[in-house]
Amino acid sequence: MFPRKAEVVVIGGGVIGSSIVYHLAKKGLKVVLLEKNGIASGTSSACEGLVLLQSKKPGVHLKLALESAKKFYNLKNELNYDIEYRNNGGMVVIENNEELKAMKIFVEKQKSIGLEVYLLDKDKAIEKEPALSHDILGSTFSPLDAQVNQIYLSYAFINSAKNLGAKIYTHTEVTGIKLESNKIRLIETTKGEIETEIVINAAGVYSPEIGRMVNLDIPIKPRRGQLLVTESVPKILNGVLISAKYIAAKFNPSLAEIEGEGISIEQTASGNLLIGSTREFVGMNKNTTLEGINSIAKHIIMLFPQLKEINIIRTFAGFRPYTSDGLPILGKVKEIEGFIMAAGHEGDGIALSPITGDLIAELVVEGKTSIPLDEFKLERFYSFK
Amino acid sequence: MKDKDVIICRCEEVTLGEIEKAITEGAITIAEVKRRTRAGMGLCQGRTCSKIIAKLISKYTGQPLKDILPSTFRPPVRVVKLKTLGGEDSCFLEKQK
Repeated sequence: MFPRKAEVVVIGGGVIGSSIVYHLAKKGLKVVLLEKNGIASGTSSACEGLVLLQSKKPGVHLKLALESAKKFYNLKNELNYDIEYRNNGGMVVIENNEELKAMKIFVEKQKSIGLEVYLLDKDKAIEKEPALSHDILGSTFSPLDAQVNQIYLSYAFINSAKNLGAKIYTHTEVTGIKLESNKIRLIETTKGEIETEIVINAAGVYSPEIGRMVNLDIPIKPRRGQLLVTESVPKILNGVLISAKYIAAKFNPSLAEIEGEGISIEQTASGNLLIGSTREFVGMNKNTTLEGINSIAKHIIMLFPQLKEINIIRTFAGFRPYTSDGLPILGKVKEIEGFIMAAGHEGDGIALSPITGDLIAELVVEGKTSIPLDEFKLERFYSFK
Repeated sequence: MKDKDVIICRCEEVTLGEIEKAITEGAITIAEVKRRTRAGMGLCQGRTCSKIIAKLISKYTGQPLKDILPSTFRPPVRVVKLKTLGGEDSCFLEKQK
């Protein structure tokens, strides 16, 4: 039976919506999640499982990620689900002097926020990751970086949420939102209508569509990331790695055009290597391209020459929900009572999902959050209009 | 050997029992079964098992077989070494000159 009423409706069954519905159910709320496809069928499965701190912007972004990272330690037990979480540290690989200069500054800023991170020379870096090329200059290392099975993470949240009484509806699309004097009243879906006073927009790259239903302009754009998957191979990596260009490309899109997009690599618990990724604005085109795949393949061979002989079994692409300042949009929206945003995490959704769910649940129940969300509000974009 | 132990996805060694469990837990597309069980994530990318999985979904959900969408097929068509995609012998080099 499709429910006629809910205390809270969460739109979006990606990792963010899944975490939110779990955290709300844990607080005892009657909550319904609506997902137009399947759980983790979009961005949350077309990505890697990096739980990276080093890639976060020093400032509120990194602070949020540090809090989120702590929550991962206990998540497997809390959710009673093997999410393949492994905390073996991560490196940013430095290939030239320019990058070294930039990373020295970046690392100092990260340290001042409280991140444990070091610079390693070439020998130390290769000692930690023997598969690295001898042509690199060095790397950073943070013992806090980790990885998780990004798909199982969503399932784990959903599973626990169901056990706590949450109702999960997949293949159920939201078609409209009815207001009553600027307050949320009713959600229309392909399966029926639900009365509610609170709705959470966790629809990721589709969150602008939800916004339009209530005349809100949500500046989130799909940014395509292409990735390669290798066959399962014996352990070749100890932790997770990104190249320094990845950090440059993430925070300065114009640099990505000149310098290339940077690279990330992890070995999953199953032994497959996931190698990413491009960062492209191509609308809702989810194809992989020869140029994209070639650029990733060339770069990863430069960093790990011995991977040359490994078989690629699949390429794929996903959309990252991009915002122009690299921060997600979180919290209440002042025009509409009961409308809460939780989207726009770009490539950080997996890492930030536990803290996002926790904070949004706090916001719903207590009306305020233990970490201020002021810098994440939708309103920050209004002055640019 | 019990029926539920029959391997449906040879590459990832996923059994009939595991696939039936995923379907009864709500996976109603081939992609959803794949994400839950890894069936179709291996070397052959579901070329063998996806048809059997489609039939199982149809059997358990009552959806006609023709309405069960295939999983997304992605390049490469068959496995290919990384050096072919980006090494010195890359098939792309010609194109870039």
